[in-house]
Amino acid sequence: MLGCIWQYVYTSFLRYWLKWLIRQATGTCELQRICSGYKPGATRTTKAEYSLRSSKNKALRGALDTNKDQLEQCVDQIMKVKNVKPQKDPLFKESLHVCLLQITGYNRLYISVEDLRKEVFSSENQEHEATLLKLWDLLMPDVKLESRITKQWGDIGFQGDDPKTDFRGMGMLGLINLVFFSENYTEEARQVLSHANHPKLGYSYAIVGINLTEMAYSLLKSGALKPHFYNTVLGTPELQHFHQLYCYLAYEFDKFWVAEEPESIMQFNQYREKFHDIVKMHLQDPDVSLTLTVRSKN
Amino acid sequence: MGLLTILKKMKQKEREMRLLMLGLDNAGKTTILKKFNGEDVSTISPTLGFNIKTVEHKGFKLNIWDVGGQKSLRSYWKNYFESTDGLVWVVDSADRLRLDDCKQELSALLLEERLAGATLLVFANKQDLPGALSKEAIREALALEKIKSHHWCIIGCSAVTGENLLTGVDWLLDDIAARIFTTD
Repeated sequence: MLGCIWQYVYTSFLRYWLKWLIRQATGTCELQRICSGYKPGATRTTKAEYSLRSSKNKALRGALDTNKDQLEQCVDQIMKVKNVKPQKDPLFKESLHVCLLQITGYNRLYISVEDLRKEVFSSENQEHEATLLKLWDLLMPDVKLESRITKQWGDIGFQGDDPKTDFRGMGMLGLINLVFFSENYTEEARQVLSHANHPKLGYSYAIVGINLTEMAYSLLKSGALKPHFYNTVLGTPELQHFHQLYCYLAYEFDKFWVAEEPESIMQFNQYREKFHDIVKMHLQDPDVSLTLTVRSKN
Repeated sequence: MGLLTILKKMKQKEREMRLLMLGLDNAGKTTILKKFNGEDVSTISPTLGFNIKTVEHKGFKLNIWDVGGQKSLRSYWKNYFESTDGLVWVVDSADRLRLDDCKQELSALLLEERLAGATLLVFANKQDLPGALSKEAIREALALEKIKSHHWCIIGCSAVTGENLLTGVDWLLDDIAARIFTTD
């Protein structure tokens, strides 16, 4: 209760008085102090995001929903409103611009990811079909697929003889993530697949992959991935960065599963939750970077 | 007073039921569970292992077990049979090719001793899809009329729209309640 009152008093009055006082004393606005006081990354961008969101000024709040090509104008506008002279603080403009690219980019990334997720896998779509077959060739280079509908799909961890129903709520996002991992980290993906096909500790490679796509998607949606992207992409995060994060999850989950030695695949959801908690814990660290650190082709 | 009566009385006090939901993969088990629980059903991925949810409904506490249906998981189904009051068998009514598979799995389940006392509800799911078979066609394909060992009922439903889910669960509860909560 006391905490609530304090929170209210602080955000509605104290914060403004305090900001005004410091502004008078130092001659710099809060955004300037954030940009000069912290190195580029999650701490700086998160603080800038909070500052803009709680601003009383419409131009500052509006910056959070600005299109990419209007961002520079938007930064000029903020500098005008806040009376920041480029001569006095030459780095400010660029720093704020990067922060805004990251903040607005995160929201746009979510929209692109959501579009891919909503794209249902269709056997009539040749591109979809080609992507699926590509997954097979990347993972099983020495084995030919006997036909499009075959039990062989089980060898890379789909449920039945036609993978199309396995993508479900994750749509093409699930398939593209699987292909991205196999294409950019081919050796690692095959190594993970060989663990998945272990007679005792095995799990369904593709189905677990689709479940991990769901995990990545829900972390993105909730905003939990902000610190990760703010630290790793100093600009606009793109779809490939989301796929990269999936690769991290796929590789790390496999390591986790093998180390934990679960009794059987029936325990999957328990271990999935445990792994989810570990990932969320990492995301609490302001210096977090969920990057798969192995040698990559690209 | 026999042990059975005591057990019945204990259950009556708790008014708790254990429902086991099974069916082939992609039948819609998890979607039914989530829809029934009022959760978002647009981002579901295939179930590995199982989900369990406890739901309060009509004064009963329902423990609903949703176990993955892919072939390699079916051998684990038996681990979930113990003290099941109601078996919910979910059918993808649009998956004509696997109806035979579906029929065989169901008949095998009905021979299980530990499921002998359970009421059977068959959900002919995905009635919202244009190619879906009617519940009458599903009844015939699964030869439900031949079942004498269990109380059973088939309901056409759609997990995505939520249509008829309550009708099915209500029938199941009534049937179980009539069996286990009325002492002698």
